[in-house]
Amino acid sequence: MQEIEKVKEVEKSEREKIKESIKQRKEKQKLGAFEKATVECPECGSHTLVHDYERAELVCNECGLVVDADFIDQGPEWRAFDHDQRMKRSRVGAPMTYTIHDKGLSTMIDWRNRDSYGKSISSKSRAQLYRLRKWQRRIRVSNATERNLAFALSELDRMASALGLSRNVRETAAVVYRKAVEKNLIRGRSIEGVAAAALYAACRQCNVPRTLDEIGEVSRVSRKEIGRTYRFISRELGLKLIPTSPIDYVPRFCSGLNLRGEVQSKAVEILRQASEKELTSGRGPTGVAAAAIYIASILCGDRRTQREVAEVAGITEVTIRNRYKELAEELDIEIIL
Amino acid sequence: MTKSEESKKTIKIENVVASTGIGAKLDLNEVIRILDGADYNKERFPGVVYRTASPKTAALIFGSGKIVCTGAKSIEDVSNGLTKVFEKLKAIGIDIPKKPEITIQNIVASADLGTVLNLNAIAIGLGLENIEYEPEQFPGLVYRLSNPKVVMLLFGSGKLVVTGGKRPEDAEAAVEKIVEELDGLGLL
Repeated sequence: MQEIEKVKEVEKSEREKIKESIKQRKEKQKLGAFEKATVECPECGSHTLVHDYERAELVCNECGLVVDADFIDQGPEWRAFDHDQRMKRSRVGAPMTYTIHDKGLSTMIDWRNRDSYGKSISSKSRAQLYRLRKWQRRIRVSNATERNLAFALSELDRMASALGLSRNVRETAAVVYRKAVEKNLIRGRSIEGVAAAALYAACRQCNVPRTLDEIGEVSRVSRKEIGRTYRFISRELGLKLIPTSPIDYVPRFCSGLNLRGEVQSKAVEILRQASEKELTSGRGPTGVAAAAIYIASILCGDRRTQREVAEVAGITEVTIRNRYKELAEELDIEIIL
Repeated sequence: MTKSEESKKTIKIENVVASTGIGAKLDLNEVIRILDGADYNKERFPGVVYRTASPKTAALIFGSGKIVCTGAKSIEDVSNGLTKVFEKLKAIGIDIPKKPEITIQNIVASADLGTVLNLNAIAIGLGLENIEYEPEQFPGLVYRLSNPKVVMLLFGSGKLVVTGGKRPEDAEAAVEKIVEELDGLGLL
């Protein structure tokens, strides 16, 4: 009996091994297919392919092979010679964006009461147009989900503006929030909380991390709540975000302290050495970054006090003191006070 | 593997939580009247908290008859603690089944891997699916294992905490597994 069980177990483990190998092979194939999508020349394998719009050919730059001929030009059929002409002829509007609840795709009836030929519209039709405009505005937010989405996205926009974040971070945050809505993770949580967590995740994803404190300042939720919501969201959405590196904080803190580029590169150098010697394990990245900047500022002669650096980094002076002593000791840096 | 054995030697059980029941409802007001040393704040917590000095444990006694014992440093201690509570309750006059079932709900153990750990590398190496490492929030790395079903906290000093296990072997198996994985990644 035991032997039969053992044999069954061996079979099971072998089956699982085979399944694993099949899975890995499929993944490799998928990756391979993805790589092929970024085209390479079939003969010489180079990736420098040039679109020749005159002859409608896709040519390899290295060997001259014509990879694709008669490709379709996807631009407009008209030409324009200045900005006004282009505006008049162009049929498209603003680019699609995820930061607006309808993705920027809804339209409004123009306020000018003129028809497409330029003639003024009769007064009866004018009243009708006024009603149509009102309804068009109302329909834009159709149901409760959209209304909540619109509110959340406006919150995201407000917070992102307060922090001075770029367009791509806003788009990323909006996408993260929409995914959370799709997976129904907003239930039982405050909308502001999930929006703040999405913003935090987006900042990390775009390599411009903002500390939880900074986001907590511009949000209506507490830092603890944002942290908790962020952990939940990142787990449920499978966002694989690596822990923030202290190096990502250096440019921001340095410009906050008006330090030269030399100090910045010195601080980055110190941080590189520190991470090689594994001094950053378990330490908050802002603390280590601030300590490195403090040391760099002393070494380059452009000193800043511990208090100033602590304020810019949002940490306490004690943290800077402890961290910089550790760094100086391990990296053999002499601090001349 | 000697590394795994060394680490296993450092395993120390820090806390054992066990639950049991007497099978019948209890009148908590009666209990606190006669049992000295028991705390009962109805608004704050719906159970009576009875602390024993030896072994140093706390027993939570509820109106449904269920009892939870925490704070014990070993499995025998938790059994002893519960037995003492039973005796006290028997003395009051509450009848208790002859062999009450004591189920261990949680064992918290600490261990030491002996070397300094690079938590960043470990987080990436072990895969970000089962890892929670937020140095801004908590200095430890949280690693959730599926078998044994425990949660391990790894710290930069090399010390670790295993919690959520129902048997002491769970802690040992977990330590063995982590040593194996970290060794395999060359991070130990």
